[in-house]
Amino acid sequence: MSYVFNIQHYSLHDGPGIRTIVFLKGCPLRCRWCCNPESQKYGQEISYLENKCIGFSECGFCKNVLPDGAVKFPNDKAELDMDKCSECLECAKICPSKALKVEGQEYTVTQLIDIVERDSAFFSHGGGGLTVSGGEPLTHGDILIPLLKEAKKRRISTAIETCGYADYSVLFEAAEYLDTIMFDIKSVNAEKHKEFTGKSNDVILKNFEQLCSDYPDLPKKVRTPVIPGFNDTAEDIKNIAEFLKNRPNVNYELLAYHSYGKGKYKALGREYPMGDLKLDKVKFNELKKLTDILE
Amino acid sequence: MSVKVLSPQEIRIYDEIENKVSQKGKNRAYEILQKIRGAKPQIDIERGLYFTQSFKETVGQPLNLRWAKALYHYAKNATVYIDENQLLVGRSGKPGRYGILYPELDGNIFKEAMVKLPTRENSPFDISDEDARTVIEEIAPFWVGKTFHENFAASLTKETTKLTYNSDKELTSRYIVNETASFRSSIQWVHDYEIVLEKGFKGIKEEALEKLSQLDEYSPIDYTEKRPFLEATIITCNAIILWANRHADLAEELAEKESDPIRKAELEKIAETCRYVPENPPRTFYEAMQSQWFTQMFSRVEQKTGTIISNGRMDQYLYPFYKKDIENGIITDDEVQELFECMWVAMAQFIDLYLSDTGGAFNEGYAHWEAVTIGGQTKEGLDATNELTYILLKSKREFPLNYPDLAARIHTRSPKRYLYEVAETIKAGEGFPKLINDEDVIPLLLSKGANFEEAYDYSVSGCAECRMPNRDTYTSPNAYINFAAALEMVVYNGHMLKYGDELLGLETGEFTEFKSFDELLDAFLKQQKNFLKHAFIQQREIIRLRAEHFASPLGSALHKLCREQYIDIHQPKIEGGIDLGYFEYMGFATVIDSLAAIKKTVFEDKVLTLAQIKEALEHNFHGYEAIRQLLLNSPSYGNDDPYTDEIGKLLDKEAQDFTRKYSKELGVHMDLRLVPFTSHVPFGKVVSATPNGRFANTPLSDGSSASQGADISGPTAVLLSNYATKNFNYNEHAGRLINVKLSPACVKGEEGTEKLVQFIETWRDLKLWHIQFNVLNTETMRAAQKNPEAYRNLLVRIAGYSAYFTELTKDLQDDLISRTEHEAV
Repeated sequence: MSYVFNIQHYSLHDGPGIRTIVFLKGCPLRCRWCCNPESQKYGQEISYLENKCIGFSECGFCKNVLPDGAVKFPNDKAELDMDKCSECLECAKICPSKALKVEGQEYTVTQLIDIVERDSAFFSHGGGGLTVSGGEPLTHGDILIPLLKEAKKRRISTAIETCGYADYSVLFEAAEYLDTIMFDIKSVNAEKHKEFTGKSNDVILKNFEQLCSDYPDLPKKVRTPVIPGFNDTAEDIKNIAEFLKNRPNVNYELLAYHSYGKGKYKALGREYPMGDLKLDKVKFNELKKLTDILE
Repeated sequence: MSVKVLSPQEIRIYDEIENKVSQKGKNRAYEILQKIRGAKPQIDIERGLYFTQSFKETVGQPLNLRWAKALYHYAKNATVYIDENQLLVGRSGKPGRYGILYPELDGNIFKEAMVKLPTRENSPFDISDEDARTVIEEIAPFWVGKTFHENFAASLTKETTKLTYNSDKELTSRYIVNETASFRSSIQWVHDYEIVLEKGFKGIKEEALEKLSQLDEYSPIDYTEKRPFLEATIITCNAIILWANRHADLAEELAEKESDPIRKAELEKIAETCRYVPENPPRTFYEAMQSQWFTQMFSRVEQKTGTIISNGRMDQYLYPFYKKDIENGIITDDEVQELFECMWVAMAQFIDLYLSDTGGAFNEGYAHWEAVTIGGQTKEGLDATNELTYILLKSKREFPLNYPDLAARIHTRSPKRYLYEVAETIKAGEGFPKLINDEDVIPLLLSKGANFEEAYDYSVSGCAECRMPNRDTYTSPNAYINFAAALEMVVYNGHMLKYGDELLGLETGEFTEFKSFDELLDAFLKQQKNFLKHAFIQQREIIRLRAEHFASPLGSALHKLCREQYIDIHQPKIEGGIDLGYFEYMGFATVIDSLAAIKKTVFEDKVLTLAQIKEALEHNFHGYEAIRQLLLNSPSYGNDDPYTDEIGKLLDKEAQDFTRKYSKELGVHMDLRLVPFTSHVPFGKVVSATPNGRFANTPLSDGSSASQGADISGPTAVLLSNYATKNFNYNEHAGRLINVKLSPACVKGEEGTEKLVQFIETWRDLKLWHIQFNVLNTETMRAAQKNPEAYRNLLVRIAGYSAYFTELTKDLQDDLISRTEHEAV
C-alpha cells in the first residue's frame, strides 16, 4: 500500500513551469539531513505540532483515546511519548486543532491524477506539470507507473525526483513515461554514502549509468545536496562532476543544505541528526563554480 | 526551499533607514514629493464656499445651469496656485495634501465633522479654526435640509432604514445594508479626454452655440430642456478657460519676478500653455498633458465622483502627440516621463476627503483611484501597446508613489515584452500595476449591449470597474451589503448581538432546530434575499434623488449621448446608455466557510451540534476553543475544494438571479461585485463571531479572496476557487478583486519573472476579472508596525490601490499581515 504525505501546488523550483508535486511516503535511505522525515517510513504515522495544541484546559480530547501514559500535559499542552503509540490513529481523528495529524493518506491513481489535472490551466504556460517525489517514488512502482501512464494519456508533462536507489526495472519502466528526471547523486564515495544515508551508492550509480545508456534523450537534472561534513569539499563535488562528464542530456546543479525540516523531527518525536551544523555560504558558492565544467 | 530576499522597495526603505539613500533624486517630481510627504492633509474650503455662495444666488433655476454658474463663480474667485518647480499647474486647494468640500452631499454633518476630523483614526484632516468657523457659519447652514444625505434618509421606509442607519442625528451607518450615495454623487467615472484634445473647450462651446442658435424658441422642450443644457455647457467651457487663463496670468507674474533663468523660461512656457489649452486643441505632448490635467482637476471641483475621476487610456489618446513630438525632435522619453511624474505628484496632493466616518473607513490611507489604463486592444481589436505604455510602466518602477493607480489590460495577444515588463513592475514591490482581463471584461460588455468598438476601447475606472466613456452613463452609488450579518441573523433568528433585541432581519426559525443543512442554507438564502430587497429599494430612491440633487455640466459636455440628447448625465434615462451599477457582496468567503463548517461538523461528521455552535458563538469562543478549532479546520474557500466552492457558486447564482429579475424595474444593471476597498474591516466590526471560527468584530473576508489565512493550498488554488464559484452563464456580475501576496522569493530573478508571467497568463486563460499582487515579507510589515517612523514609505496593496502601510489602522495592518503569505517551496 502506498501513501501520499503531501500534494504541493504552485511549485516553482522543481522542474519547468508551475508544477504540482505528489509526495509518496517511504524511502529506503535515511539521509541525516533529510528535510522531510515524514517521508521516510512506509505506512501511516502520527505527527504532533505542539504550537497548534490548544491544551488540556480547553480540550484534552486525545487523553481519552491514547494508551495509558502516552500523553501528559505538564504545561497544559500535550506532551507525547511516541514509543507508546499504538498506531491506531484515533487521536488525530479527534484532535480539533489538527495538532495531531496522520502523515500519509490513501489515494487511488484516478483520485491523484484528477487532483493534479485540476491545475492543468497552469501547466499550459511554461511546460509545467506533474512531479512525483517522495520518499522514493521508484519504490512505489505500483502507484507510480500507472500515475505516470495516466498523466501521459492526459497530456500532462511528467517528472520525478529520485535518489536512484531502486530496482532498475521500475526506473526503466517509469522513464518510458517521463519528460524529465531529477536524479540525486550525493557522493561517489561508497563508504561515506553508506555512513550518511544508510546505503551504499552502488545501486544508484549503476542505475544512473544504465539510464543514460537506455534513455540517452531523456533530460536528466542531476542534483547534489551539499551537506556540511559530508560532501562540502571541492574533491567531493569534482568527483561527482567527473562521473557525470560526457553523459548525454545531463544538467548538474548543487542544492544548499538547510535545516527547515528540523521542526518536523520534533513533531515525529525524533532527534534531528544534523544538530546545529550550518553550510558555509562562501564555500557553497565556490563549489558551484566547479559544476561549470559540465556546461 | 526559499530563502528570504527583499523586494526593491524593501531594499530602498532599508537603505533610507541606514542613510544610504540612493542618488535617485534626479527628478523634480521626487523633490516635490519629499516636501509634501508625511504632513497631515488640510481641508480647503474654497470649493464649498464658492459653490454655496453661487447656489444662494441661483435658487429656482434649472439644476445644470446652477451647477455651471457655481463652476464659473469658483473659476473666477478661487485662489490659483503654481507650485515651485512644477511643470503642470492646476490645483483646487492649498499647497501640500488637501481635500475639498462637497456640501451638497452631506453638509448636514459638517459641523460635527469639523470637530472630529483632526483626530479620527481613519484618514484624519486638519483645518484652521477660522476655516472651521466659515464652514460652520457660512457653508453648512445653507445646506441643512437640502443635502442628498438627509433627503435620501427621509425617503426610506422604516424597514429599510433600520438596516441602513443608526438612529443618531448624523445618520451613521449600521454597516448592514450600507448606502454609499451620501459620500459620492456617482460611482467611478472616466471622461472622454479625447474630445478635449481633439476640439478643445472652444470647439465644444462653438457646437453648443451653434445648436443654441437653431433652437425653436416656441418649443417647450427646446426652451425648458435644451436651452439650459446648452447654456450650462457654454458657461462651463467659459469657466474652465477662465480658470486656465488665471493660471497664465499668475505664471506671467511669477516669471517676471523669477531670477533663475531656467525657471523663468519654464514659467513663461506655463503661461503660454495655459493661454492656449484647454481652450484650443493642444499642439504638443506637453500641452496635451496640461489640457488633460485642467480637465480632470475641474471635474474634481465640479463633483465628487466615487474614488475620484480616472485618467482613462493615457497610452492611447496621448500617443499621437508623443509620436509627433518625438518625430519633430522636440521632446525626449525622459522629458515625457518627467511630465507624467509631475502629474502623479500633483495627483497625490488631492485627497478624496470623506467627512463621514463611513467614507473614511471605506477608503483608509487617504485612498483615491485615478486609474491610468495601459495596454489592451485598440478600437479595431488589435494589440494596443506602444512606446508610451512602456514609459508609463517605467515611471511606475522608478517613481516611489502610490498615485496614480496603474491598471494594465491583458489579452491573449499581449506581447511577451509587455507581460514581462508588467511582471518586472509588480516585482518592484509596490503593488502596481493591477491587472484587468480583456478576456473577461470584453465579452461581458458586449453582452450588456456594447458594440465591439466600444468594448475594445474600455478604460479601467476606479478600483476594478470598466467604463466605455461615451456609452456608459453615470451610475448611482450602490449598496455595500454585509452578508456576514445575514448569516448572523440566521444564528439569532433575525437579530444581531450588537443590536440586542431589535429585530433586523427575517425570523427564519430557531437556529438549533434546523434538521438538515438544506434547511439552514435555505434560511440563509432568505436572509440574503431580504438584504438584496432593501438594497434595491435604496437604489430606487438614490436614482430618483440623484437627478434632483446633482447635475454635471462638464461631465455631460464630454459625453456624446448627453450632447446629442441635451440631457444631463445625472438623469436616470439616457437613450442608448448602458448603466453599469452594482452592489457589493461583503464577506463572501466568511459566509461560504461558515456554511461549509456547519455542514461538515454538524450534518456530516456529527462532531458538533447546532446548539454547541450557537453557545460558542454567543461567547465569542471564549472557553470554546476546541469548537472554534473544529470549525476553523473545516474546508475553506480558496483551496480549490469543490466542497466549499459549490456553496460559493450557489450564493453567487442566487444573488444574480435576484438582480436578473429586479434590475429591470430600476432601469439599470445592478450587478454582483466583489471589490470591497477597505470596507471589510468596518463591516467586520459589527458582526459577532461567525461559524468559520472568526472572532467577533474582526475583519470579514476581502472581495473574492479567501478568509484571512485560510488559503493554505497556494495561489493557484485561490484562482481556481475563484473560477469555480463564478457563474459564467450569467452576465449580472461586475468585477471580482483578487489579492495575491507573494514573498520576493517566489519571483526572484529571471526565472521568477518567467513564472510570474506564466501565472498571469493562466489567470487570463481562466477569464478572471482582476488580480493584484503584493510582493513583500510579513516580517517587514511587522517591523513597520513597531517602528512606523522608519517605514513611512512602505507601500502595500490593499484593494484596488496601494497605500502607505503606516497610514493604515492597526486593524487593517494586522489584517494584511494575516493574509497568507504564499511561499513557493
